[in-house]
Amino acid sequence: MNITSFILRRLWQMLPTLFGVMLLVFLLFNWVGGDPAYILAGKVSDPALIASIRKQLGVDQSYFVQFWIFTKQVFTFDLGRSWSTNELVSHVLMTRVGPTLTLLVPVVLIETIIAVGCAVLVAYVRGTLTDRIVMMSCTVAMSISFLVYIIVFQWLFGFKLGWFPVQGWTDSFWKNLLYYAPLPVILAILVDVAPSLRLYRSFILDEMSQDYVRTARAKGLSENRVMLKHVLRNATIPIITNVAAGLPATLVGLFLLEFFFSIPGLGREMVVAVSNSDFPVVKAITVYLAVLTMVINLLVDVMYRWLDPRVSFR
Amino acid sequence: MTPAVATTSYESPGMWVLAWRRLRDDTVAMISLLVIILFVLLMIASRLGLVASHWNAEVAPSYAPPAWHVDVAHHAASNTVGIADPQLGPPVDISDIDPLAPRYAELEARAAKMREHKIPPATFLPFGADKWGHDILAKTIKGAEISVSVGILAALLAVFVGTLFGALAGYSGGAVDDAFEWFYNIFTSIPYILLILAVAAIFSRGFLTIVLILGLTNWTTVYRLVRAEYLKHSEREYVRAAEALGASHAARMFRHILPNISHVILVQYSRYVVDAIKAEVILSFLGLGVPVDMVSWGTILAETQEEVVIGKWSQIIAAGGSMAILVTAISMLTDSLRDALDPKLND
Amino acid sequence: MTRNLICKCCCVLLILFALSIQAAPLKVLRTSIIAAESGFDPQRISDLYSTDICWQIFDTVLGYDYLARPAKLIPNIVRELPVAEDGGRVYTFRVIPGIYFADDPAFKGKKRELVAKDLEYSIRRLRDPALNSPYSWLFENKIVGLDDLVEASKRKGKMDYDTPVKGLQLPDRYTLRITLKSPDYNFLYAFAMPQSAPVAREVIEAYADDTMAHPVGTGPFKLAEWVRKSKIVLVRNPNFRGAVLDTRYADMNNPWDREVVKSIGGKKLPLLDRVEIYPIEEEQPRYLAFLNKEFDVMDTLNQIYAAQVMQHGVVAPNIAKQGIRVFQEVEPEIIFDEFNMEDPVVGGYDAQHVALRRAIIMGHNRSQEAQVIFRNFALLEQSPIPPGVVGYDPTFNASSQQDYNPERAKALLDMFGYIDRDGDGYREQPDGSPLVITYLNRTSLQYTKQAELWTKSMKDIGIKLVNRQVQFTDMLRDEQAGKFMLAVSTWIADYPDAQNFLQLLYGPNTGSANRTRFKLPAYDRLYEEALKLPDSPERNRLYREMCRLVLAYAPWRFGVHRAYLHLVQPWVHGFDRNPISHDQYLYMDIDVAAQQAAIKH
Repeated sequence: MNITSFILRRLWQMLPTLFGVMLLVFLLFNWVGGDPAYILAGKVSDPALIASIRKQLGVDQSYFVQFWIFTKQVFTFDLGRSWSTNELVSHVLMTRVGPTLTLLVPVVLIETIIAVGCAVLVAYVRGTLTDRIVMMSCTVAMSISFLVYIIVFQWLFGFKLGWFPVQGWTDSFWKNLLYYAPLPVILAILVDVAPSLRLYRSFILDEMSQDYVRTARAKGLSENRVMLKHVLRNATIPIITNVAAGLPATLVGLFLLEFFFSIPGLGREMVVAVSNSDFPVVKAITVYLAVLTMVINLLVDVMYRWLDPRVSFR
Repeated sequence: MTPAVATTSYESPGMWVLAWRRLRDDTVAMISLLVIILFVLLMIASRLGLVASHWNAEVAPSYAPPAWHVDVAHHAASNTVGIADPQLGPPVDISDIDPLAPRYAELEARAAKMREHKIPPATFLPFGADKWGHDILAKTIKGAEISVSVGILAALLAVFVGTLFGALAGYSGGAVDDAFEWFYNIFTSIPYILLILAVAAIFSRGFLTIVLILGLTNWTTVYRLVRAEYLKHSEREYVRAAEALGASHAARMFRHILPNISHVILVQYSRYVVDAIKAEVILSFLGLGVPVDMVSWGTILAETQEEVVIGKWSQIIAAGGSMAILVTAISMLTDSLRDALDPKLND
Repeated sequence: MTRNLICKCCCVLLILFALSIQAAPLKVLRTSIIAAESGFDPQRISDLYSTDICWQIFDTVLGYDYLARPAKLIPNIVRELPVAEDGGRVYTFRVIPGIYFADDPAFKGKKRELVAKDLEYSIRRLRDPALNSPYSWLFENKIVGLDDLVEASKRKGKMDYDTPVKGLQLPDRYTLRITLKSPDYNFLYAFAMPQSAPVAREVIEAYADDTMAHPVGTGPFKLAEWVRKSKIVLVRNPNFRGAVLDTRYADMNNPWDREVVKSIGGKKLPLLDRVEIYPIEEEQPRYLAFLNKEFDVMDTLNQIYAAQVMQHGVVAPNIAKQGIRVFQEVEPEIIFDEFNMEDPVVGGYDAQHVALRRAIIMGHNRSQEAQVIFRNFALLEQSPIPPGVVGYDPTFNASSQQDYNPERAKALLDMFGYIDRDGDGYREQPDGSPLVITYLNRTSLQYTKQAELWTKSMKDIGIKLVNRQVQFTDMLRDEQAGKFMLAVSTWIADYPDAQNFLQLLYGPNTGSANRTRFKLPAYDRLYEEALKLPDSPERNRLYREMCRLVLAYAPWRFGVHRAYLHLVQPWVHGFDRNPISHDQYLYMDIDVAAQQAAIKH
């Protein structure tokens, strides 16, 4: 089977999943998501005003009609306006992705480099004291709550020592990246690097116990060469899979950082939208993130087969 | 947490025994195990009311500093800041319009007889007191009870759901598998935090709610692992043999295959415990933690977000520290356990 | 000290003036708000923070004297304060000619003058059924003929903006004459709120879908940049008519008033070129960023930090050392808990239920509420009327009904048969059925503290209290529908008259403003009588009687009036906090050189 038909078939298979995601989100938020009309009505509301707002928002229609509208919106990419700020939802998404990516890309890149580097290192010296110390400090680092890190380090590095700004964000990409992003990025890496490192270490150890490595060693290749050429190359596949699979969740998963460092990102937007019952924004973020997740999974699969020709496109 | 010895395991009869032997030689694992056992004992003691039963008694002034011996009167005096009340007139007389006016005399007489039950102030406060004057040490211990219970139960629920789904999917294959895969794909496509917020909104606040939130949103990893194992094992000879001997589907799934993959589940279970303990903190930050008449590490840490700046470090150190110790111990033990169960990695 | 500073400022200003031929440094004020805004369409907004921004962009018809305490109404874009004609039934607004809106493409390149028709348009717009304005109640059942027009418009499905209304007459280009259905001496206050600020019909129609993002007003600033929930940038409106500090009520014994008069008196306002406002939801970064000089002003500091900034009325040394000035005030607002008067367990007007409510109130430890939750930056409420509004009586003392008194609470419960029959530590109702109070509040750290205090206090007097923390929308829904027993509530003054607060207990307002569903004929009679009177000792007597009835029947537990600290950096001038109007950026100034030096340092 060639690659085109493989991709087409996988895209086709996404439809039922997408439908499921839409259904689940719709049910969850129509059932429990609160009624935005009560916020919009202000501090002196009466039932007539509430009813009128509900009508305007379309939440008085039957669930079938609402779901049908939702479906149309998803496929026409027209998600309407936010219920709380009247902002176009497409605009919400476009403006919030940038700041999140400004955090996310450095976090993922640096974290992966550090994690892979350290993993190779500790795999190299596996079983020694260095291995133990590195692994143990990683474990301790990740065992502290993220909230504690943020509260303490914002106070310490932002305020007490003044090494970084306490918070803030501008329109300038470079200022954001070089001035405002570093502290949150470091915090994210502190908690994220340890699990990755442990995982990658096990990937590498896994590869090192494979027969071909023994053969390579037996052939007299230097340990460095074996490590870099064979082990690392083969361990790349699970590592990339792991990085890619984590991406969509991280897009909204950085909300704590976004809250504390005043970064106008997707995660903060979503948490606020949920608490305001701003259903259009919640729906949009969820559905497009789900699509993104599925596309990334597909890309990983394609890459997987491309890197490892033994796997055929089934 | 004692692993049940697999009696019907065909492949590696002494797996658990061998693993235990390896584990016993591992100092770090043993220390970690000891720490965990201590925490569990503490949890049980707290559950039974042997320790920290009066965690919500006001035994000291607000934000009393850590001390081995507290001088209460001194701190009470230094605790008044802020603005002065305006000059009020005498209390307003409402006797002419009060429905209770006919019984004023009786009320005065009864009120005079009431005696307030005063709790004696504490003198031993190694971590000081929180804003209400609760002993932070007792609060942290009680918080440990709740947080550890949340971790254990939520992980149990997650593992149960994940194993059940994974077993059904992997063992049955075909349409059943497709259905579970569909469901799995949906769940993993929706951001975790959104699921948490949604599930949190369905149930009213409570201890069980947290267990449900964390359990029902966290089963996917176990599902994936268990399904893969079942796909592999259901074709193995020992399962075929069991089938030939007339074992039912359920028996093959749970009596024959399950014990052989239980080590995978156990390792994942301990990871879930860690995840759940940490996630509970985030839930509390979002205002979805345990109810106000309970305390957990999460609710304590959520309080600290306004305390660090004003220099009240006791709570963050006590709760953050004990959480770090427990989580480190569980993680270390998990690592050692995985290595002990899967010796191939330790060549 | 201040003098020295002003001298320095003057020197700097002179130097800056000399340099200004090349490039005048922009005066940029940076500040933060604690919750996200929603938009800037005056007739559509209801939240505090959007309203605050609208104060800067739009001209309210009437305003408040910047320095007067309590707040004093003054004319803003009209020649004089309209006088109550025909016994409080007729008000005439005479707009000052020559006031122009900020330029906007909707005006097609022409300068657009503000006329009386714009005032009338905004009133009609507030009542537009399609707009669902949260403040439509301001003009509901008030103006002759307007309600009929709204009803007719509802049937047509489209608001009628053109048919003349009897009560809204425009005798000439600059005059609006409003006739009311019945006398109302508080009517003018509705014109000192951004919600009634005049907007241009062309603009509203041009941006029909997106009026929240296109505010065009006649005020001192205009919106230059808006990243929703993250950044709001206002710049000086070149079409602004200009203003000077016009205060008749400055108290020269008050250092803040003195500073304002000295630093901005006589100058053409506004002095700021640009105001940057950043919504930050978390308290810690907001406060630390201010201390780090990332912001020039720190509005409404959380009480938990306030105790660190000011102790016993004295600014803490580390704050004073940096030259930060600390403004303290008590907001005209009330925090209270309301009972549902229609609830079978806690509602009712008979002695037994009154006793239960009064016992619950006395059992609640409100001294701890002030001391622990608000770190002593709070005054105990004595009546539904907060300080700073007309009708507030500073001597009114509710301590014997509202202060913490567990002995009396327990005695009262015992007397009326609320006793523990089954020995579980909790009392039952007189008929033996369980007594469980549910407390409705919302998920947030602040409310969690209140809930903790309630749970604990009630347990101490043997009452079982179940805490129901829900999302904000759900709380509003349940309060609106009367599905609660006891609920947390807040009310912030829309205008500085006690009536704005007392309406919350007026029987006919049940289902809208009166969420506690309190219906007491005696109270309603007094309320109606008071409406017909201007501010007078006679009206104050009626207000006092109403407060006494509230004490006796106890539909509310009075909480506290929060005291707030507002912090300003040493280079900020002209700061004051008016309890009602938040148009302070018009009056503020910045010493740019000092600001820049501090930032670089």
